[in-house]
Amino acid sequence: MTPIIEIKDLVKTYGKLTAVSGLSLQVQSGAIFGFVGPNGAGKTTTMRILTTLMAPTSGEAYVAGYSVIKNPRDVRRAIGYMPDFFGVYDDMTVWEYLDFFGACYEIPEAKRPAINQDLLELVDLAHRRDDRVEALSRGMKQRLALARTLAHDPQVLILDEPASGLDPRARIEIRELLVELARMGKTIFFSTHILADVAEICTDVGIVEAGKLVAVGKLEDMQRRLMPHRRIHVTLLDKLTEARAALAAVEGVAEVEVVEQVEGAGRARLVVEYAGDDAAVSAILAWLVAQGIPVVHFSEDVRDMEEVFMRATKGIVS
Amino acid sequence: MTESALPIPDKKPRLSFRERLTRNPVVIKELRGRMRGNRAFVVLTAHLGLISLFAVLLYFAYTASSGNVYGPSSQIAGKVVFGGIVGIELLIVSFVAPAFTAGAISGERERQTYELLRTTLLPARSLVLGKLVSALSFVVLLLFAAIPLKSLAFLLGGVAPEEVAISLVILVATTMVSGAVGIFFSAIMRRTLGASVLTYVFALVFVLGLPLLMIVLIPAYQYFFYSYSSSPGPVLEAALIYGFGLLVAVNPLATAVFTEVFLIEDHSAFGRAYALSNGSAIPLPSPWIPYTLFCLFLSLVLVLVTIQIVKRKETS
Ligand SMILES: Nc1ncnc2c1ncn2[C@@H]1O[C@H](COP(=O)(O)OP(=O)(O)OP(=O)(O)O)[C@@H](O)[C@H]1O
Ligand SMILES: [Mg+2]
Repeated sequence: MTPIIEIKDLVKTYGKLTAVSGLSLQVQSGAIFGFVGPNGAGKTTTMRILTTLMAPTSGEAYVAGYSVIKNPRDVRRAIGYMPDFFGVYDDMTVWEYLDFFGACYEIPEAKRPAINQDLLELVDLAHRRDDRVEALSRGMKQRLALARTLAHDPQVLILDEPASGLDPRARIEIRELLVELARMGKTIFFSTHILADVAEICTDVGIVEAGKLVAVGKLEDMQRRLMPHRRIHVTLLDKLTEARAALAAVEGVAEVEVVEQVEGAGRARLVVEYAGDDAAVSAILAWLVAQGIPVVHFSEDVRDMEEVFMRATKGIVS
Repeated sequence: MTESALPIPDKKPRLSFRERLTRNPVVIKELRGRMRGNRAFVVLTAHLGLISLFAVLLYFAYTASSGNVYGPSSQIAGKVVFGGIVGIELLIVSFVAPAFTAGAISGERERQTYELLRTTLLPARSLVLGKLVSALSFVVLLLFAAIPLKSLAFLLGGVAPEEVAISLVILVATTMVSGAVGIFFSAIMRRTLGASVLTYVFALVFVLGLPLLMIVLIPAYQYFFYSYSSSPGPVLEAALIYGFGLLVAVNPLATAVFTEVFLIEDHSAFGRAYALSNGSAIPLPSPWIPYTLFCLFLSLVLVLVTIQIVKRKETS
């Protein structure tokens, strides 16, 4: 696999403030790359350099093999950019908005109607095509913005907090759209503060803090590295003692803690600290079931990603 | 040879000016927005109404004040009405054209669409020219719509077709430079408000600065000429005349007035010979020619600078 985004020793200073300090990063073609970090870490700045809006103080960045400094036009052709704000023209309809940006991407007039229609259907806005852009809800605007980034069929999408300010449903819709787009072969590089989204859809994660990359890699690897123990929640209908014995026999289980037990009934909730990959986790479930233990709930701690994040970003301070 | 087997040579299609305009997405978007609803119609009607009202008032004011035993001269009435219309059009154009362009770039920034545009393939040149052309074409439409009114002055007599033509050239040149100034300030200022203020300050100085200056300058000139016991040397005299001509040629009102003086005194639309006090003659072009050249030059410089500003990446 070849990197489709390559950032080399990128530095950006605003006067005395160093927003990005020597960031290097590679994003493989086809990845969904989650770019996370605390406020002011330099995510937006990095993205603005990648989208050719801003020149780096030093360092280089390449998108689809083109230098953002030397071949900005080729880079623009290769990317679709969604900033962390939504630019609206008052008195423009949804259709006109898409058509205008299509024209700005030099799509021939004859092809635009079909493309616009496809895009509106993809983001589920076909029924709002003649409404004014201003009148759309935030979630719809966000979807329209996503459609706009796709007008010229770019290889790479650079999305700055695509899910910020959305309700849970709209957020999940955007998330599903991103997965759909990745399936269509696009590389997605997006920044977010919503770690659940990262855990859910990203193939790779990069964590930045104070302009530096503090952790990068496959989500799984990162979890294993930063959090040797995963937390698995198990709820049993019965047979607590057998379950504890069965779990203790599994290699890699560090601790089994009973967090809740209903008096009289056999129902109990356990938290298992475990070091192992996804396959091993599923093997544990199979093992418990094979032992005849009635498992009603088995899940990994959803707050894992947050803990990865906390541990990664804390490392910088000390 | 594989190359010769290609049936069609790979020639870059040359786009005509019209094609380039109609393919400029900015022009289409701006015109669509401007012509939406009845806004354009209202502006056009208000423009023509204002000019008609002004012309009628001017006509009655003239005929009432200059009644002599033979009655007012309809020829002069025609000239007064025509001159009045051109004067007010110059004012309108100097202040309306910038109103259309002062928000061109800063407005995109304020709507947060500027960066979206800058990440598309739209060249900075297309953005700036598209904004300018769509704004100016509407102002030029206003100017052309007023031609029939000027032709009414024609009926009164005393106005020659070349006066109408020259006035139109002066007006279009003024439109262009006012629009270019607006777009320039709109690119250097963050906010449309700031761009508008600077543009209007420029328009005020451009239109009214020189007439005010002249109130001071003309007595000074007279003093200078009459205080010489002998005539000044021909070189100095010629330099003073040309210097004065240059001052005239950077102001639309003075240009209009002195072009008219040339037409009345010499029946010359393009220029005349000016006799110096030692008897030799120097050529003096009619002010509208250097004025138009000045406007073209200034507009071109401003537009090129604006394109460079838009092209420039954010550095700070
Ligand atoms: N135009 C600017 N001028 C000066 N400083 C800036 C500018 N833009 C960003 N900064 C500073 O650079 C640093 C990085 O900002 P950036 O917007 O890249 O962070 P971010 O990771 O996107 O943060 P957030 O998660 O809040 O969006 C911040 O300290 C910010 O204050
Ligand atoms: Mg940001």
